[in-house]
Amino acid sequence: MSIAIDIHNATKSYGDKTVLKGVDLTVEAGTVTVVLGPSGSGKSTLLRAINHLEKLDEGYVALNGELIGVRVHGERLKERREKDILKQRSKIGFVFQNFNLFPHLTILENVTEAPISQGVKPKDAREHARTLLARVGLADKEGAYPRQLSGGQQQRVAIARALALEPEVILFDEPTSALDPELVGEVLSVIRTLAGSGKTLIVVTHEIGFAREVADRVVFIDEGLIVEEGTPAEVLSNPKNRRTQDFLSKVLA
Amino acid sequence: MTTPTAKRLRTIGALATAAILTAGLAACTTSADATDTAAASGTVTVGAFSNGAGTETQIEVSTVDEIRTTLPQEVLDSGELTIGIGALPAGFPPLAFTGDDNETLTGSEPDLGRLVAAVFGLKPVVSNATWDNLFVGIDTGATDVGFSNITDTEKRKEKYDFASYRGDNLAFQVLASNDWEFDDDYENLAGLTVATSSGTNQEKILLEWKSKLEAEGKTLDVVYFPDANSITLALNSGQIDAQFNPNPGIAYQNKQSEDGANPTRTAGIFSGAGETLDGLIAATVKKDSGLAEPVAAAINYLIENGQYEQWLDAWGLQDEAVETSLVNPPGLPLDNS
Amino acid sequence: MTAVTHRPDQAPPADGTAVTGLPPGIDLKQLAERKVLPLRHPVRWVITALVLVLLANFAQTLFTNPSWEWAKVSQWFFSPAILKGLQLTLLATAISAVVSFLGGIVVALARLSGNPVLSTLSWLYIWLFRSVPLILVLIFLFNLGNLYPSVGIGVPFGPQLAVPTFTLLSPLVLGVIGLSLSEIAYCAEIVRAGVLAVDQGQHEAAKALGIPQRRQFFRIVLPQALRSIVPAFVNQIIGLIKASSLLFYVSLLDLFGVAQNLGSTYPTDIIPLLVVATLWYLILTSAISIVQFYIERFYARGSVRELPLTPLQRIRRTVAGIRSTPQGNTIA
Repeated sequence: MSIAIDIHNATKSYGDKTVLKGVDLTVEAGTVTVVLGPSGSGKSTLLRAINHLEKLDEGYVALNGELIGVRVHGERLKERREKDILKQRSKIGFVFQNFNLFPHLTILENVTEAPISQGVKPKDAREHARTLLARVGLADKEGAYPRQLSGGQQQRVAIARALALEPEVILFDEPTSALDPELVGEVLSVIRTLAGSGKTLIVVTHEIGFAREVADRVVFIDEGLIVEEGTPAEVLSNPKNRRTQDFLSKVLA
Repeated sequence: MTTPTAKRLRTIGALATAAILTAGLAACTTSADATDTAAASGTVTVGAFSNGAGTETQIEVSTVDEIRTTLPQEVLDSGELTIGIGALPAGFPPLAFTGDDNETLTGSEPDLGRLVAAVFGLKPVVSNATWDNLFVGIDTGATDVGFSNITDTEKRKEKYDFASYRGDNLAFQVLASNDWEFDDDYENLAGLTVATSSGTNQEKILLEWKSKLEAEGKTLDVVYFPDANSITLALNSGQIDAQFNPNPGIAYQNKQSEDGANPTRTAGIFSGAGETLDGLIAATVKKDSGLAEPVAAAINYLIENGQYEQWLDAWGLQDEAVETSLVNPPGLPLDNS
Repeated sequence: MTAVTHRPDQAPPADGTAVTGLPPGIDLKQLAERKVLPLRHPVRWVITALVLVLLANFAQTLFTNPSWEWAKVSQWFFSPAILKGLQLTLLATAISAVVSFLGGIVVALARLSGNPVLSTLSWLYIWLFRSVPLILVLIFLFNLGNLYPSVGIGVPFGPQLAVPTFTLLSPLVLGVIGLSLSEIAYCAEIVRAGVLAVDQGQHEAAKALGIPQRRQFFRIVLPQALRSIVPAFVNQIIGLIKASSLLFYVSLLDLFGVAQNLGSTYPTDIIPLLVVATLWYLILTSAISIVQFYIERFYARGSVRELPLTPLQRIRRTVAGIRSTPQGNTIA
């Protein structure tokens, strides 16, 4: 199996507060990685650093061997131009906790916006978008506006939107945290179907059951460092680190 | 199926936005500048569209080369004489105002400017501005000469040269329902509120009376308004008892108001050439522009050849006639202007 | 003080409900099946009546006071001179509105940009033109020839191409520049506030989708910002229409200028002319308010579940409602 994402020495601080303290992580292509950790542990920052929504102070993220957001400049890594970063991001889908759908655009337009902006013919983009909407079970909602949908439906649209660029990797930042409990299932089931499709998924979540069922690998982060990683069986059922044990006992309580 | 609808909605919205923003873009522009069509050779029409203030009269006048050659070269080169009027936003009929075609800038002042331009053999361009901007126009060179009922004062002489052309008869105006009379005695002003225009001959005279009255322990309130309309409204509403301003304008307003809701009348006339120095009305040019002498020469030519009298007759200004145009005659003293 | 005291002079609830203090002989269950009466507001009615009487008095003076001279108002209302002034008001306002909207976006973007020189400059610009009254801006502009006798571009200390100021700019151009200069300052702040009001998540989502920067702004951020920009901007346009009555300072006769100017020629018509100007300004702002309603409705889509009704729809619905309501149920 080839390595899709390679993160090395990811370091980030906000003022005096160090959020990431040199994280190393590799993710194999086509696998599902679930990132766990208490709030404020740096797991969201790490996820956002992968598509360069957060700039790292030190370290790099590489996708299929290509540095994201930076390039080699003599002896140093140097920030790329925004235009080039935007191009790189189209290979990485991102699903936000708060959906962040564009409220002034219809569901269909939300999904076609990125492909059209990157030169896909509107007709082709719409056709593809309809397929994707059907896949997340919202074929009948294409003319609606986001606020007319439930949270679960909105998040499914967001997933379709992320898929529209046919990214190799999709990042999920707590995709079910903003949902009412009864809506969590429909979103997780969409993610579950993606897991088998060969895409590389990285999911930050608190849904331990989902992690156990779907993840190939579980990573536990605390205080800006990876504390423990392994298969769900290793990390979730038999955690070795005390902080992992504490966290799991609280979440599962 | 909702997509085309949504798109159409968006187009309509965009059009609506564009419409509100650009409404009227195609309309033509309106400016207060007016270029007169070249007068028929040797004839200048005065008193046009006067709304009863004057008599339309054709005056014969031709270019006088001896005077023309004394003009500054830039003015000759431009072929135009830009005549500045300070009658915005409200005019002061019959001296300078919008005529009864509701369009043409007419009045005795621009008409004399046209006559002078004809003597010079230049095309007259009448430019209307606010009172302040009239002077700025002369400063910047946008305006060659101001014909706008400007009183010659010593203060103004610091920046401008003058060529006098008219005297200044003043009048008191009251509502017709008011039986007050001036009776050539300033004592009758005691206790009144009187409006006048600041920086003028009439203001100076009024302020002198005021100080005399105050010395006797009496009062006279002198108040100022931005333009003639405001004075009229103040008079109608009883805020002021009378206004003291040039006689021609007051005569015009009285005639106009005869059949209106608030008729007015003249309650006394006072000659500007009274007890003290007379403030003359003068054509105003930028100091040392070399224009004052040619303008005075042109006016004197008009006086000698009868056109000046015709002009006075056309506007009913016979009482304001002068015998000769002087360059920089003594003006109102510094402290009053 | 939650203790319930049972007073002996009151009968205990007869029907076994938990409610105490009922007058005798009342069956609460029965009352529960009737509509609850709303509270009456007698003071409100008295004030309303007073206001209506005052209004009626004023309306009466409009017809009985001869000073209004309605015959003359109607005579002047469509006169060519007034219409010409109106045209100028519309023209100057429209051009200034477009220029200041676009200029406002540019200045707002400069202010929001990371470039310290640009953002400081735009801050200074906004500070200056929000501080200086429009009338002073207009007077300074008109007197530009005094301050800068010629306008030119060229290499510093090198060859210059120069034109005298006063021949370069017509009064209309000067007027539009004057109005726009101060309007841009306000507009920039409106646009900036609108952009800042757009949820940070929207910027992030647009970035994460790799949408090119310009498209991010014009397709994602601006349309959402317009929701709050439009009402504020329309307010500005209304202010602009009224501000255009200062244009006589640059020798332009707008609606108000024409009314003033004609007032001096026809001193008996000053009041009717001012009424004509007032009526036209009322018509203009009303027209703009109507357009505003529809623009706002357009930009509201997606942000509310149901769009506000247009007046026509509201009338239809009310009529339909009255028809379908059975007589007995409509209690005022």
